[in-house]
Amino acid sequence: MKKIVIGLCLVLLGVFFIGCDGGTSDRVIIDFWHMSPVGSESFSATKQIINEFNESQELYTVKGTGFGFWDYWDKIAVAISSKTAPDIGFSTIDDVPIRAEAGVLYNISDLIDADPDGIDIEELYQSQLDFATYEGDLYALPFTATTRVLYYNLDMFAEVGLTEADVPTTWEELHTVAKQLDVDEDGVIQQLGFDPTYGNATYHGYLWQCGLDFFDDDLNPTLNTQKHIDVLQWMIDFNSEYTRNQLVAFGDANAMLGINVFAGERVAMIVEVDGLYQIIQNAGATFNYGVTSIPLPDEDGVRVNWGSGFSVELYDNRKNEEDQKAGAWEFLKYLMSKEVQKEFSTANGWLMAHQEAMEEVAEGNTIMTRLLEEVAYARDKRYVAYAPSWHGNDWQPYYNQALNRELTAEQALAAARANYLQKKENWEATH
Amino acid sequence: MKTSSVTKLKKQENYIGYLFASPWLIGLIVLGIFPIFMSLYFSFTNYNMISAPTWVGFTNYRILFTNDDLFWKSLGNTVYHVMIAVPLGIIVGIALALLLNSKVKGMSIYRTMFYLPNVVSVVAMTLLWLWLFQPNFGLINQLLSPFYKLFNLEPLGWYLDQNMSKMTLILMGLWTAGGSMVIYLAQMQDIPVTLYESAEIDGAGWFKKTIHITLPLMTPSIFFNFIMGLIGSFQVFTIAYIMTNGGPSRSTYYYAYYLFDKMMNDNAMGMASAMAWILLVMVLIVTIVALRLNKFVFYLGEET
Repeated sequence: MKKIVIGLCLVLLGVFFIGCDGGTSDRVIIDFWHMSPVGSESFSATKQIINEFNESQELYTVKGTGFGFWDYWDKIAVAISSKTAPDIGFSTIDDVPIRAEAGVLYNISDLIDADPDGIDIEELYQSQLDFATYEGDLYALPFTATTRVLYYNLDMFAEVGLTEADVPTTWEELHTVAKQLDVDEDGVIQQLGFDPTYGNATYHGYLWQCGLDFFDDDLNPTLNTQKHIDVLQWMIDFNSEYTRNQLVAFGDANAMLGINVFAGERVAMIVEVDGLYQIIQNAGATFNYGVTSIPLPDEDGVRVNWGSGFSVELYDNRKNEEDQKAGAWEFLKYLMSKEVQKEFSTANGWLMAHQEAMEEVAEGNTIMTRLLEEVAYARDKRYVAYAPSWHGNDWQPYYNQALNRELTAEQALAAARANYLQKKENWEATH
Repeated sequence: MKTSSVTKLKKQENYIGYLFASPWLIGLIVLGIFPIFMSLYFSFTNYNMISAPTWVGFTNYRILFTNDDLFWKSLGNTVYHVMIAVPLGIIVGIALALLLNSKVKGMSIYRTMFYLPNVVSVVAMTLLWLWLFQPNFGLINQLLSPFYKLFNLEPLGWYLDQNMSKMTLILMGLWTAGGSMVIYLAQMQDIPVTLYESAEIDGAGWFKKTIHITLPLMTPSIFFNFIMGLIGSFQVFTIAYIMTNGGPSRSTYYYAYYLFDKMMNDNAMGMASAMAWILLVMVLIVTIVALRLNKFVFYLGEET
């Protein structure tokens, strides 16, 4: 019995050591965190991309770790703060300067200077590169790009005798067309032409189209002008024939069932991100639709949409890991190459940062081509250190109160501004 | 000579004791005591979780008390929740226990049914109730629709109505009253039958027996559930996070939610730590005050 137990222990120990070795003992291990966990649709393709790199290498082995999108952000934040960040990973591009200032990112410009042919920077969007720049140097590279556009359902247009030529280009036209597409029975909404609060439309997006913003150049909150009030009022009044409860209920009912209101053919037009295209594709929807720029306030409006993207960064855990740094750079070059960018786009349905790669992916695809055109007009939100969630948590309660008519547009904006000012004052007191 | 060897043996036993307890002790120190003291330190710093913390003294505490409207708003919401959810939880728990403390056929099945919600995860429970309370197609409003029609009322907005949202979350929380019910039930069954028999001889009915025997003798478990309920309710977070996102209009924005946002959205770990310590002190004070109610608790078998 004793011999059997000892024998079993030895076998287990042997298995343990074999498992630890992994057959790559002579290579430098590069940790790469991504958002394609085991079981996700894009896992196999991502693994394949990593494997192809590993097969081409003699010095490095990339070990990929996938987390779901919602888990990823907490994980990476904790890893960075505890100096256990991966050698290379994704993050948000608008707050790169925060991490660069804290010294947790390697300077990409230095690496490019030492290896000028490594990455074709010209192929990346300048607006995205600007966000990844801190004190004149790049500390991250844009990996993906996002954009917001107006999706319109041509079948619904046809039902009321409209064609693609009637797709609105201004807010006034948008209202006129939308009203023709509204359908209700006994006051219950059956179909909605458009609602400026649905989908991924945002108040700050509409402000940008009017040449306005939440903050001035010194990051002081604005919001207190008549123009700001007018834009919010336009959003509130767009579907004034319905109560807010009806509008929320119509949108909420679809959202709870996991149906996008546009993909579910419940609204005729919606402002949404490029990802909706993938959702419609995956759902196998058969209706005819198109995408175009978000209608402008008027002829003087600014063609702009809120777009962001993931950054890809090399993390400095301050442990002098030169080999890891060199390996991560090699892998970064590989990730940013045209072919790999195309592979990522196909696997995840993402718009990638590499322009030429995306042009090739979109070739012959009208929707993709239009989405790419809009990426050129995408602008990311500014990072406001005293209110990093200025567009989300900080703004949403006031926004909802205005939409619910609990506060007037003017009151809601004044209250939101007061909140930002208080946050700013408190932030300055501790910095 | 003999004494010294005994001392030696005692020491040795102590060492062995510590050795055996070491996994737990290390866990307590590394995962318990160390983070507690670190959070106390962070509460006096400005710490964004990326750069090193910088000392700011009592600034975080000063800001929270004197220049942070949301601090008071979230605290107000939490106090509202505590003041209604705790007593209501006790009342429903006792009512269920009284109901299930009878000799009806299949009683164990009923007891299990009422306890079952406690084994469901909070997330699953919240999502389930999200559907049930959905104002437009939720089952609750569907069931109430004849009532709405009869009295010509607008259907209730539940968690989407800022005047009802806190109450909706409290009502949802009552679904797990079966947890405290089990404790009440256990204590009820500990009450000597002789007391009821003598009361019956004196002509007491069900109501008098409940008021004069059952409830007084249940005070230890009521007191226990009261204290635990107080502590738990001050930390209310998950249900609001999943069901309402703190809304509408911040009506369910509880203290723990604001603490979470300070850390995750504002990257202000120092401020969040200060909030955690303020919460700890508040809960301690409330608990100490609540413990004074102990004099009203009747412990069976205790000498008076």
